[in-house]
Amino acid sequence: MSTSFPSLFPGMLLDAASRYAEDHMAREVRGDPVRELGWTATLVPEEAGGVGGSLSDLASIVEGLATHGLQLPVIETCAIVPLLLQAAGAETARRWLEAVAEGSAQVAPLTALSATPDDNALTAVHLDIGYELSGVVQGVDVTVAATHYLVPALVDGDDAIFLVDAERVGAPKARYRTMEGRQGADFALQRLAVPEGACIARGAAARDAREKATDAALLLTAADTVAALATLIRQTVAHLKERRQFGVALSTFQVLRHRVADMYVKYLGAKSLTLHCFHEYEQNADGLRRTLRLAKVSLAESARACAESAIQMHGGMGVSEEVLATRTAQRLIASEFRYGDRLLHVTRLLAPQACAAQVSSLSNQTGSVR
Amino acid sequence: MSIDYAGFRHELESFVRDACPPEIRAVVAAGQKITKREYQAWQKILDTRGWGAPSWPREAGGTGWDIRQRLIFEEVMAENDCPPLYHHGLGHIGPVIIRFGTPEQKARFLPRILDGSDWWCQGYSEPGSGSDLASLSTSARLDGAEWVVNGQKIWTSHAHEASMIYMLVRTSKEAKKQEGISLLLVPMDTPGITVRPIKTIDGWHHLNEVFFDEVRVRADNLVGDVGKGWTCAKFLLERERLPPANVARLELMRRQVTQLVEEASRAAAGRRDFSGLHHKLLLCEADVKGARVMMAQATDDLIHQRPLGVQPSVIKMTCADVAQRLTTIALDAVGPDAAHRFLADAGEDVPDATWIQNYMFTRARTIAGGTSEVQRNVVAHELLGA
Repeated sequence: MSTSFPSLFPGMLLDAASRYAEDHMAREVRGDPVRELGWTATLVPEEAGGVGGSLSDLASIVEGLATHGLQLPVIETCAIVPLLLQAAGAETARRWLEAVAEGSAQVAPLTALSATPDDNALTAVHLDIGYELSGVVQGVDVTVAATHYLVPALVDGDDAIFLVDAERVGAPKARYRTMEGRQGADFALQRLAVPEGACIARGAAARDAREKATDAALLLTAADTVAALATLIRQTVAHLKERRQFGVALSTFQVLRHRVADMYVKYLGAKSLTLHCFHEYEQNADGLRRTLRLAKVSLAESARACAESAIQMHGGMGVSEEVLATRTAQRLIASEFRYGDRLLHVTRLLAPQACAAQVSSLSNQTGSVR
Repeated sequence: MSIDYAGFRHELESFVRDACPPEIRAVVAAGQKITKREYQAWQKILDTRGWGAPSWPREAGGTGWDIRQRLIFEEVMAENDCPPLYHHGLGHIGPVIIRFGTPEQKARFLPRILDGSDWWCQGYSEPGSGSDLASLSTSARLDGAEWVVNGQKIWTSHAHEASMIYMLVRTSKEAKKQEGISLLLVPMDTPGITVRPIKTIDGWHHLNEVFFDEVRVRADNLVGDVGKGWTCAKFLLERERLPPANVARLELMRRQVTQLVEEASRAAAGRRDFSGLHHKLLLCEADVKGARVMMAQATDDLIHQRPLGVQPSVIKMTCADVAQRLTTIALDAVGPDAAHRFLADAGEDVPDATWIQNYMFTRARTIAGGTSEVQRNVVAHELLGA
């Protein structure tokens, strides 16, 4: 069976993340493992003291963690943060990227897990002595501590990005556990005064960076889902082989065998589509966002069906949070709602200007693999 | 030597745009059933260009293309509304003759497949042997220099328009049911063969029953060793499940159905709600993209001679599933205007009625060539063991 689930992004990063996740499985996150392990440096360019890695490198880490069911805000702190910082002027960007890479500043996005980074939850008003930020952001990941927040906002109808001290932002209005076991929080900003320099990007630069961050978040969430699906099926297979009822292993019942086969078909489809997304990303394809939205809708459908099947086939164990398959099912369903749910993405896909693209042919014209 | 795939695609595109007759493309574009007439005319054109057999090696009269080129060929064909290659000759029995046939058999049968003069059908299923194909009982006994065939085949596509049938027959009764089966090539005009049409749910005539009553066939029409026909059959079935044409045709169908839904939703604006169909189409679009990568991955594995594992089963199940979902969407879109005109004669004044037939026709996608239940068994066996 080992050959049935080849890694999406194999290599040393995957092995390291996988080992770490296996050692820390089902334990509460303590400290700041993302920064201790140096992962925040992955996407930071070499000239800013980073690794200069690619999104596929980050996907290796995401895959390793998802394989063993560990939740860490890698997408938020290692992808969205450096991509948003790159919108700033050269000097500011370099200084903050350096701080992110070496871990001297703990920067996190002040964005809702359920919204894409190009969404505006907050508005800013430009005053003589700086800006005032207002609005409510619900469901921000606060699993690891932050010294600074990157805050996307709308200024006079223009996209912008602010960098604000965590102390200035203040304590959240509410803290809670998220469905998949992260720490979440709601922030309410009421005319929060920030200095002029807090606005690190405005206009096209801010918009481009927020779109890049959105693409990255969607890509990495897809990788997380595919890795989680592999784990879910592996765990289900192991359970069906071990568990005996009526004097025989559950794996001898054809109805269950076929259900696992259906899960596997969905997994391979999700995996192939995700590889296609990464391929389009690497090729800088015109239709990338459309493909990412399609993947979001399709993976949500597959992930929920597989999660429900796995819970059902685990019987009583399926409703116990101690079981890895159950936690993985929670993760899969929660991931549906990360960075826009399927209904949001369907709406965008079916918006009038998107219709023309539906009739276009396949974009990968050379027929190459990934 | 590295191949310029983009240049190759371009060469194909400019050829098919000029060479494929508009009346044939119209049939394909409308999603109508493609018959021997279109297949044969197009096969002749391709053969004249030297592209009659994209999947065959050069020494057998093929193009010698690698599988990626074949995949591109199928995509270009589908994108430009050309008919697919007729699978029974080129895709199924041709490669079997190339692999297992004698030099004399190759010389006698292959050129007639290439130029389209022989039209093949497949004699596999029997009334008592469907998924359990190895239990087949149509027999052949040796009498002098001839095999004498008795029995019945069923669900035989194209038998009414075929000139040849390749069939599995029992040549001896062994302990293991897979042994004692042989592969025989039989001209359809041999005395003792009766073809009876089966009226199918789609309203088209494509399936038949074929009866064999003391049918005498020359002994050297048996392919491979006597009693080893199962080896040929398995060789063939593996190819049947992984035809490069599948995914490319699926994309063509998706485009057709998308257009159909767009038109129907415009025509029925405000009276019927199409949001559900639009949503389902998006899922099909995603699945076709995924299937295409699966196919490319399997292609890559074939090129590098890595084991294919359960990929052919998964691809077959996925393509069959998406094809059924697409025609179901089409059925919902055109139903009110076309369902009362079901039958082939509606084609002229109610073109959309074809999609009612297509919906019925694609029911067979999860049955023919190994049911989806059998494919699930294959996948489950890989994951869970026996």
